[in-house]
Amino acid sequence: MKEQIRTLLEDALPIVDLDSDFLLGELDSLGVTTILMLLSEKFGITLESSDVTPRNLKNLDSLVKLVESKLQNK
Amino acid sequence: MLIEEFLKNNAVRLADKPAVVCGDQQVTYQQLYADCVACAERHAEEGREPGTLVPLRATPTIDYLIEYFAIHLGGCIAVPLAKDLSDEEFSRYAVELQDAEVPEGTADILFTTGTTGKSKGVMISHDTIMADAENLIDAHKYSSDLTFIIAGPLNHCGCWSKVFPCIIQGATIILKDGIKNLDDLFLTLESATTKVATFMVPSSIKIAMEFGAERLAKLSDKIDFIETGGAPMAPKDLQRLCQLLPHSRLYNTYASTESGIVATYNFNEGECLHGCVGPAMKNSAISISPEGYILCSGRTLMTGYFNDLQTTEEILKDGVITMSDFGKLDEQGRLWLIGRNGDTINTGAYKVEPTEVENAAMEHPAIKDCICIATPHIVLGTALKLLYVPTDQATVTKREIALFLKSKLEGHKVPLAYEQVESINMTFNGKKDRKSYRS
Repeated sequence: MKEQIRTLLEDALPIVDLDSDFLLGELDSLGVTTILMLLSEKFGITLESSDVTPRNLKNLDSLVKLVESKLQNK
Repeated sequence: MLIEEFLKNNAVRLADKPAVVCGDQQVTYQQLYADCVACAERHAEEGREPGTLVPLRATPTIDYLIEYFAIHLGGCIAVPLAKDLSDEEFSRYAVELQDAEVPEGTADILFTTGTTGKSKGVMISHDTIMADAENLIDAHKYSSDLTFIIAGPLNHCGCWSKVFPCIIQGATIILKDGIKNLDDLFLTLESATTKVATFMVPSSIKIAMEFGAERLAKLSDKIDFIETGGAPMAPKDLQRLCQLLPHSRLYNTYASTESGIVATYNFNEGECLHGCVGPAMKNSAISISPEGYILCSGRTLMTGYFNDLQTTEEILKDGVITMSDFGKLDEQGRLWLIGRNGDTINTGAYKVEPTEVENAAMEHPAIKDCICIATPHIVLGTALKLLYVPTDQATVTKREIALFLKSKLEGHKVPLAYEQVESINMTFNGKKDRKSYRS
């Protein structure tokens, strides 16, 4: 799943360093919402404004955890 | 009266009232004015002469507002630039502005995208600032018991113009660094003790509805008004916003840096009309040219383009600006937007001239040719895409190109999509065939 997310985001956000361990710091409003929208669409999950936390958007691994937890609670 | 005089009056009249809030920082009107005066005195002591053109990064901070008003208090001209501008680009602007002269009464220069591949500086007078503010106060009813959230770039007229009616009326401004932290934006709205208002471009409204519809609906009684503009909003988004916020005033405004704020329409008051931007505001007049272009006149117009008389004369004649938008007026005097002429691409309410992006890209040693086109985008509606032809045997990744462009251009001018192609379509007379890339 991590590589799937990486490919998805690499294509949409060319400037962002996806290997960063402080991903949220790399992103602007557009970057954050693009990630939320792409993940919602790709994995059929519902993401909300309260999901945008430094913990959830720390790095690619934390995004994987976020998606996995949403999938489990579907 | 100048805007700074209102600030001075409010320092007495509303001394202890919060003027600006930014994160954990807050200043009252009394503190804000005192800080502006102290800042202006410091710069004067350092040798800054009245009439100096002062570039500054428009960061969403209280310090930026203090610097801005201090520039005016010192008789200088403020040139707010993008907050994320590279040092190299900032220096380039500083050199361009050094020792330059501008017409008497100029307050600010705001840079917008330019057809010649270089940003154009729009000169705004003190009177224009006041006229825009009066238009907004009159139409949107700003008052001292309002909290206005500004969550967008402070060097673009959409957000920047909201500072002035707030200052005049003694409202409280909350500065946010975009809507990246949507949760924080909602918390701010939810915890406000007064009625609140904000300006959001259509893509931001769509984001708020997509990820916070329930929270937005609960704020219906608290949100006094939301203003949008800069790009068309889809009819279904207009209707959804009306459903979520039945008690709020929702305005679609027609404005540009060159024309100022000229028309506005509450689409949550009976009819929800797509494409309608309402009648001309108090200090503005609108008509339509025989060719169908929107013509704007009145006190809100720019003085002209900085150091560019030729381009100024192309659009500003006898106190009338010819816009690039086509429109029509209905029997009630309301303006309707029909379309736009030219190659400008509207991405997330930012207008971008593709030539500006292409010229920057051509400076990359691995790019032989390129064209910047519009492409659909999941958030913005429309994004920039760069089709590029690499020089012989060169290999370059899209990330390398994007980072290169980021060092040359404001963030919104950096394409989000890239595609390597073998050639760029040309017209028979050797120009880039932009039409062939339009869907």
